Amino acid sequence: MTSILIKALKSIYISVPSQNAKFATSAICSNTLSITNKEWKYPPTFTKPREVWIENLDTIEEKKLGLFELHPTVYGATPRIDIIHRNVIWQRKYRWVSWAHTKTRAEVRGGGRKPWPQKGLGKARHGSIRSPLFRGGGVIHGPRAGNTHFFMLPFHLRLYGLTSTLSAKLAQDDLHVVKDLDIPSDNSEYLAELILSRNWGPSVLIVDDTDYAPRNITVATGNLPHVNLMPVYGLNVYSMLKHDTLILTQSAAEKIEDRILQLLHSDTRKQQAKFKLDQV
Amino acid sequence: MATVWRSQSAFARIFAGKSGLILNNTADLGAKLNPASISTLKKHYSNYAHSPFVRKIQEQYEFEIIKNPPEWEYVQRLLPFESIPKITPKAAYPSGWIPQKEEASNLPYFIERNKNQDLSIYLDISYRGMRKISKIKKIEGDIWLMNDDVKDFLKKRYKRYIETRVHELGKFIEVKGDYVNALNEWAYSKGF
Repeated sequence: MTSILIKALKSIYISVPSQNAKFATSAICSNTLSITNKEWKYPPTFTKPREVWIENLDTIEEKKLGLFELHPTVYGATPRIDIIHRNVIWQRKYRWVSWAHTKTRAEVRGGGRKPWPQKGLGKARHGSIRSPLFRGGGVIHGPRAGNTHFFMLPFHLRLYGLTSTLSAKLAQDDLHVVKDLDIPSDNSEYLAELILSRNWGPSVLIVDDTDYAPRNITVATGNLPHVNLMPVYGLNVYSMLKHDTLILTQSAAEKIEDRILQLLHSDTRKQQAKFKLDQV
Repeated sequence: MATVWRSQSAFARIFAGKSGLILNNTADLGAKLNPASISTLKKHYSNYAHSPFVRKIQEQYEFEIIKNPPEWEYVQRLLPFESIPKITPKAAYPSGWIPQKEEASNLPYFIERNKNQDLSIYLDISYRGMRKISKIKKIEGDIWLMNDDVKDFLKKRYKRYIETRVHELGKFIEVKGDYVNALNEWAYSKGF
């Protein structure tokens, strides 16, 4: 079936004969034709665009609805694992407030009285039983509660973190592009079976370009804790690594591409400026 | 409690009383708003939460909204660029800057320009100026072949062996010594 489809897609380049119409609907034609016609605002100079299949979600059996080109700067970058790692560390740290707490010698109860006289006992001189030298005494330089670990990773490291992770996911066949998120039923068993049959691993992150996903997929993923929906603006390195497979809708893939390319080709001094607490 | 807009006009509050409707627009109260008529007396409510809401705010100036007026292009001229504009091809550039050539992408290796269309060849100076390293960044394609070509070029020009170092994953080549001008010349000759 797949080989027939590939042949059909290839023959579209030469001519579009009518017998191929049953494999290629009008939508597929436009997708396949976009292989040659896709024009970016910032076209790739040397590296060739990455090609991906457009898949479907409305049947459990996988159907390839067309071919789609992805910009190599975003989806074909060198996966810098050091940058990915720094992004993950950043994402864990910026929201972490450490509540570990110890008491100093002033806060430990008691210890106001001099335990024994300064002289005449042959013992070491001490002024308080809560001194750090004592068992049960205060702690010197211990953790104090409410310690924030907030910092901002430099802007371009955040940007290259996204491109590196997206590229690594695509190179490892863990990134799939689907046409839309329409599924026939709101049963989560359907989605679980689909994920199992396509070897998408247990955990799947589905990214759409809108805030409102269709009802069926929202209900179906509601019961599955390891299948999550996310809008494009929520895409981040940590979540992409946490899930085995990343599913992008076609419009989401394009939107991510446009946004990152725009930022890579514009003046980003504003984004690179020091983070101010009142800027949000 | 949600944030609410409070009346700035203390004068209006006196006339309206505590429970009355406070209008920002004084014309509705039958008084003209001019500097002389604004009372300096203030009404102190027991607390902020119990002070009445501003009910009606009229626009101080009347205006109409026009879409795409002909003058808009003059405003657009002042707006900052959304992205770095594309280069307009010319025969010669007064600054001496050379654009990237189309045929450069036919070679087995490639140096990408940065977003400002400059060659990504830099000089790293460290150890108080004692160590100078020329760095070619953003190399695509066969980096080892390019390393050989760069070495050959430098050997012919300076008639001695010049050390280089290739970082394949980082996509850059480092040349020991300050050879930025020579490397720029080589890159321009290749069309990068």
